[in-house]
Amino acid sequence: MTTVAGLYFDGRTSRAHRVNLTVEAGVVRLSGETERSCPLDQLHVSEPARHIGRKVTFPDEAYFEVQDAAAFDTLLEQTGYRDSSVVRMQRSRHGILFGVIATILVLVLGYLYLLPFAADAIARHLPAGVERTISKGTLEFLDQHVLKPSRLPAARQAEIVDHFRNLAPPQAGAPSYEIVFRSSRIGPNAFALPSGQIVLTDELAKLLDDDEIMSVLAHELGHLHERHLMRRLVQSSAVGAVVTLLFGDVSAVVANIPTVLLDMKYSRDAERDADDYAIAMLKTNGIPLSHMADAFEQLKRKEGDGGMPYLSTHPPTAERIAHIRQAE
Amino acid sequence: MDQHIQPAAEALPQSAPFSFSGSGREYFGIWIVNLLLSIVTLGIYSAWAKVRRTKYFYNNTQVAGASFDYHGNPIAILKGRFVALMLIIMYQLAMRESGVVALLMLAAATFASPWLIWKSLQFKLYNSSYRGIRFGFRGTLGAVYKVYLLFPLLSGLTLFLLTPFAHQRLKKFQHEESRFGTTHFSFNASAGRFYKAYLVVFFVWLAGVIAITVLFGGSIGALSGLKNPAVRSAILAGLMTYLFALYVWLFVLFPIFSTLIQNLIWNHTQLGPHRFLCEMKWPRVVFIALTNILGVVCTLGLFTPFAQIRMMRYRIGSMTLLPEASLDEFVAAAQAEASATGEGVADLLDFDLSL
Repeated sequence: MTTVAGLYFDGRTSRAHRVNLTVEAGVVRLSGETERSCPLDQLHVSEPARHIGRKVTFPDEAYFEVQDAAAFDTLLEQTGYRDSSVVRMQRSRHGILFGVIATILVLVLGYLYLLPFAADAIARHLPAGVERTISKGTLEFLDQHVLKPSRLPAARQAEIVDHFRNLAPPQAGAPSYEIVFRSSRIGPNAFALPSGQIVLTDELAKLLDDDEIMSVLAHELGHLHERHLMRRLVQSSAVGAVVTLLFGDVSAVVANIPTVLLDMKYSRDAERDADDYAIAMLKTNGIPLSHMADAFEQLKRKEGDGGMPYLSTHPPTAERIAHIRQAE
Repeated sequence: MDQHIQPAAEALPQSAPFSFSGSGREYFGIWIVNLLLSIVTLGIYSAWAKVRRTKYFYNNTQVAGASFDYHGNPIAILKGRFVALMLIIMYQLAMRESGVVALLMLAAATFASPWLIWKSLQFKLYNSSYRGIRFGFRGTLGAVYKVYLLFPLLSGLTLFLLTPFAHQRLKKFQHEESRFGTTHFSFNASAGRFYKAYLVVFFVWLAGVIAITVLFGGSIGALSGLKNPAVRSAILAGLMTYLFALYVWLFVLFPIFSTLIQNLIWNHTQLGPHRFLCEMKWPRVVFIALTNILGVVCTLGLFTPFAQIRMMRYRIGSMTLLPEASLDEFVAAAQAEASATGEGVADLLDFDLSL
């Protein structure tokens, strides 16, 4: 049978022993500067690699390092040893090609379909309380840094709130919410916090008429009802984890760029969702959709094309208006 | 015990350069399969992936005719990752909470981390071997908290004046508590040398910042004060370029810093009587680091395994072992120290924090 030359390290001292390895009747025998024998099935063979000798490890961690690779390959064949399927895959040209294609496919399909689906399922099954706890401090933070108390008369505030309360949501099970008024440097704006507050700026309340304000509020209620924040949280964590896996070595900043870009698609999807929700809500209550389109027109005019990364998290306003007009 | 049973067969070896024989093409196969299986199993396989990757890197690292090996148990690594994930979630929740709860959670995480780092260092060293002899790491709880918590805190409180000192103490701790079999490493770089390295890097950084400011900042200053929107956007573009240049400068600087520190550390480390030589050259490291980033970005990540191998080959190839005696006479700890070591083996076997 085949003889393989190599070095034996006994695991007790660092000395290398020159030995030959043979296999007879299921037993491995070392002979040369030291002697040892061991049943074949108690040994572990390391993965192959181009420039290094494979190692045959004994139960006590002593090991034999192959020097004659060709003879060892013959011996492995004679004893019927087969590398694991993972090892065979990572060493074969076809396996690697399959790996590249499958990885890209899994990433793309996961991003487009699986992750949104999973995030939606998670968001819907999580009790609303979790979402609210997570964002508990957000309004206080904004109040300290961006927002100022509203200067809108209390009567006008109550009027808007009552008006919206009287509208029926398009689907049952709308979450509880609170409309809060603030004045701010960010201009006419409205946004929903997952803690259940819908923030409306004075500037927006002054710019739009009642039905237009209702369509904006309906859009924000859509974000809350569809659990968009929780979905975004799940989605961006997953995207962040995978991107870090891919680019984390390079630099945290470089890794952030694809994360942000990839996350924007989800953000735009959420906006479209909320638009659809608002359209349905206006229809339910018999408010003409033209008010909603007008609201977007006015906001667009006011905002101008002032850039701001904020815009790219939303679909183009023209596209959104066209969508509303189509639904009419 | 039987340290001198085998007399040194050969004459005293001159110097033994380290070499790394891994190839980018070969590692690409391991990397892509690891990546695919890790994603498909939602990260569970990543522990096995780590073992495969580390074994590949260790087995391809050679010195004096023998290679290193890694013995980490994937299940232990999986446990460590689970704990790390919990810590991250705790940290994230603390960030979102406010007030006392956040502070308490943050304090708990901060207080737990030195111990975790210690355990994972022990895991890493204990699971590394060369010529069939395992490395090990001792350390005491008090020393761990000193170098991983007290000194970093002090360095923060002194506006980073103590940072080089804290860094020196950290490396001193890491190297002096490491052992190969029964033989201990020692470390003799003084804090003064760390201060010198930090100062050099600081002045290089300052010189670069001044040069960049003169180049880009001057034009910004000249433009300011004008109300024309076109000019204002030009200023904005100039400012962005300026910030970008500063950022790129940091990218260049970091390899310079790590080169200086790496050389300093290894040129002052000994294993028993044996010394090391580390001759990394910073222009080469900067070149490899920058081209690696370009490669990874341009190939959307597919260059990553090649990048890792390139850097590893240079870093390991810059090291030399300067033996003072035969390398055949290291003795495994299990035999000579039996149960006398401070580290309970059972304790180490189930923890790893590093990613």
